[in-house]
Amino acid sequence: MSTPTRPAGLWRLIATREVTTRIRDKAFIGGTLFSVVLIIGVFVVTALVSGGPRSYDVAVVEAPSGVLEGTAAYLSVGEGEPAEVNAVEVDDTAAAEGAVRDGEADVALLPTADGFELVSEDGADEVLEAALRAAIAETVTATNAQAQDVDLEALVAGSEVTARELDPRAAEAGARSAVAFGFAIVFLLTAMGFGMAISQSVVREKESRVVEILAAAVPIRALLWGKIVGNTVLALGQVVILVAVSLIGLAVTGETGLLAGLSGAMAWYVVLFVLGFVSLAALWSVAGSLASKQEDLQSTTLPGQMLLFVPYFVSVLAGEGVRVVFSMLPIVSTMVMPGRIAEGDVPLWQIAVAIASTVVAAFVFVRLGERMFERTVLRTGGKLGYREALAIRE
Amino acid sequence: MLSIHRLTRVYGDKTVLDEVSFDVRPGRMTGFVGANGAGKTTTMRMIVGVLAPTSGEVHWHGAPLTTEQRRSFGYMPEERGLYPGQKVLDQLVFFGRLHGMTTAEAKERAQSLLARLGLTEREDDLLETLSLGNQQRVQIAASLVHRPSALILDEPFSGLDPLAVDAMVSLLRDEVTPEMPVLFSSHQLDLVERLCDDLVILSGGRLVAAGSVEELQSSQDERYRIRLADQADAGALREVPGLEVLDAEDSSALVRLTTLAPEKALVAAQAVAPVVEFARVVRPLSQIFREASA
Repeated sequence: MSTPTRPAGLWRLIATREVTTRIRDKAFIGGTLFSVVLIIGVFVVTALVSGGPRSYDVAVVEAPSGVLEGTAAYLSVGEGEPAEVNAVEVDDTAAAEGAVRDGEADVALLPTADGFELVSEDGADEVLEAALRAAIAETVTATNAQAQDVDLEALVAGSEVTARELDPRAAEAGARSAVAFGFAIVFLLTAMGFGMAISQSVVREKESRVVEILAAAVPIRALLWGKIVGNTVLALGQVVILVAVSLIGLAVTGETGLLAGLSGAMAWYVVLFVLGFVSLAALWSVAGSLASKQEDLQSTTLPGQMLLFVPYFVSVLAGEGVRVVFSMLPIVSTMVMPGRIAEGDVPLWQIAVAIASTVVAAFVFVRLGERMFERTVLRTGGKLGYREALAIRE
Repeated sequence: MLSIHRLTRVYGDKTVLDEVSFDVRPGRMTGFVGANGAGKTTTMRMIVGVLAPTSGEVHWHGAPLTTEQRRSFGYMPEERGLYPGQKVLDQLVFFGRLHGMTTAEAKERAQSLLARLGLTEREDDLLETLSLGNQQRVQIAASLVHRPSALILDEPFSGLDPLAVDAMVSLLRDEVTPEMPVLFSSHQLDLVERLCDDLVILSGGRLVAAGSVEELQSSQDERYRIRLADQADAGALREVPGLEVLDAEDSSALVRLTTLAPEKALVAAQAVAPVVEFARVVRPLSQIFREASA
């Protein structure tokens, strides 16, 4: 006999086994990769739809002086990066139409007797058209003013309109709500996915009866803690990867403003995630220990699923007041609080309440879970109910 | 010495084990037999601590078994139990480490056990890809990997072909040290008879017999088979005082010696007719078992 491992080290062995077997699991790797690809996809699509420096090609027979430069200047107003308007020089009207048809140019700008004609395949880009019109008006007015010997500055004096934003962040409100929603859905899916994994891992050990050997060798508490720690590490690892990919995505797509505003929310998210996950992990272990075969999990994991789904829907559908309350309740807070932080300022005391309540819940759930797990994990023959399990006295 | 002391287990109003006491002596193989539902698995699970006794205790060298001592036992549960989707060597190392071995120690030990079971080639295969017989060999290796202080094996030989049984028996004989008590249950009485030194018989949750195999086999009066020459009627032996004819057919009789010593009985029988066979009848375990369980 060698010196027995201190019980303190045993849960670590169990946790290590959970982690190492899981990260070799193809389904697990595939799922994680899928999520990463999904996030990257969201960024790519967003960039394609809305974003990036805009660039237009305009077919011209002879570029009217200053118009395209002016158009580019208009298009660049309020954008992070200047827009580009390139001239595609063609020989005549027919060639210009051909360039538009072939897609070499977005539009063609052709001179007419009264001014200009904007030729497009099926309606010009509204933003481009507006910018072109403004630029043409400006350059032509300037030319005419000079020809008429009018002081243009005097003519337009008093007509300048400047803009002032009362809430510059409102522009990002959409993006922030999306992030808030992302927080909720990622926790929901991760907690559910890894929760089911914990239950399955427990019931698999029950089914294969390996739990008998484990229980004969180590304290059952070490088993439970090994599972909780191992799966929390896995879940957290996956979330950190997903959050990192999202942050990189924000940085790459130039959303640095949004990025800076969200870093606080992301940090709180990780804290609340761990606490929320640990509180539930004990419950998922019990769901596994109550079952005697995989099929039983459907019913034994129901309370865990309810604890995630109900608050999720309430938080998504409910009004502001309900969300404030929910953001401070244990477990639910992980889904709601980081989102609220992302959307705007949340008083620090509310964050403190959320964390404190989740810590208390984690403590209570783990304690309760420990008791139920110890009493049920070695039971064979038939599924047990939660009430039955609590009533067992050994 | 492992001593089971008035172990009792009650489920609701059903007593599945009723004040059972017996010893498992070190350095010997103790066979544990009884019909289905006699309480063998319940007893074994309570010894290794996966089931709490309603009352009674397990003693180790005369003192109540501590948790630490209990965890140094090797245990093979009835329904087996390993990770189907894990590599053979990996899980043996895992179990070794759970018992406090270092990774290197556990690996060396596991590989030596696998080699003796002829499974070296399969050490990197997933357990579920092995045949059931081979999985069972891995199972026994799992119970031995940490050099246990005692072995509790629930039906270790069930489902094995005779060759596999021999391999496992020889491994067990190598592994059992003079200090190590071994308790194994089995339905295969012929196997138990061949392997075990001591025997514990349970019936309906109660202990009906315990002791060495020889003791149990000779616990009752000695019986002899006497065959007479020349088709003489064995019924004539009934006239001989000091022995009782239990069964007589033609020239052959099964007798019980009541007062006569065997050599005297032979002389007495010779007086009836020439004796061609005079042999002690050792009752097979199956008979002891049947009598005990009746």
